[in-house]
Amino acid sequence: MEELITELKKEIIDVLNLEGMTPDDIDSDAPMFGDEGLALDSIDALELIVLLEKNYGIKLANAAAGKEVFKSVRTMAEYVSKNRTK
Amino acid sequence: MNAGITSYCRITNDKVIVNAQTIDVPRTDSSWLNDIYHAANISYPKFFKMDNLAKAGFLGAELTLQDVGIDKTEPKKNIAVVCCNRSSSLDDDTAYQQTIQNPADYYPSPAVFVYTLANIVTGEISIRNKIMGESAFYVMEHCNPQKFCSFVRGAFSDKTIDACLCGWTEYNNGNCDVLFLFVTRNELNDLELNIEKLYR
Repeated sequence: MEELITELKKEIIDVLNLEGMTPDDIDSDAPMFGDEGLALDSIDALELIVLLEKNYGIKLANAAAGKEVFKSVRTMAEYVSKNRTK
Repeated sequence: MNAGITSYCRITNDKVIVNAQTIDVPRTDSSWLNDIYHAANISYPKFFKMDNLAKAGFLGAELTLQDVGIDKTEPKKNIAVVCCNRSSSLDDDTAYQQTIQNPADYYPSPAVFVYTLANIVTGEISIRNKIMGESAFYVMEHCNPQKFCSFVRGAFSDKTIDACLCGWTEYNNGNCDVLFLFVTRNELNDLELNIEKLYR
């Protein structure tokens, strides 16, 4: 799981253009959205949905599910681990 | 400083000039626009999410306003933002097209898509500086000082506008060509001449 978490952090930094950040700067359990943690916005959320589909073959059709999946990098990794098709 | 212009900034592919002073921009492995951002000591993480056109306009506005002394935290209805360029958002349109070009690799990028409108630049500048006056983006064949000036005059036809942040904001295919000026109502008479002189 830790390996997948690190992989996801690298992909998040890359697709969201988080300049100057390294995987070590991202707390695996910190909220990804809202005022704390990575403080991502709605466009970032859409990019993460594209990332899941492109890199892991996961289609996230339910917006409500996304709220749970993208709570933190760890919840995202757990979801990817259970649902990935590639 | 040029007569009749409060402040200006010129950015091309190899130089940055703010009010007649050339800014030293150390080159790194990053892009020219990112290097300017770092050299100017700006702190605005959203910059890195912008497309190159928005980055170019944002930097032009930041550097022009750095000594003007406007309060970025206070909403302002008396300042207008007027930009124009030649290529509109073609640079980002092309990048977006690449994300949908191949049916076997069809992943439209939302972050790229949001910048496929040139007037997003004026929005980014307005958000950054809390400018709530008139904003407009025009596309024209080349930087024509007379037309440019007429667009700025149009903004001043609103009597509540006291100043205008205006810019030629061109970025396409790696080529950056930016001239930004902060102009007050009293400086309008010299604007056309100053654009001609500073754009050279």
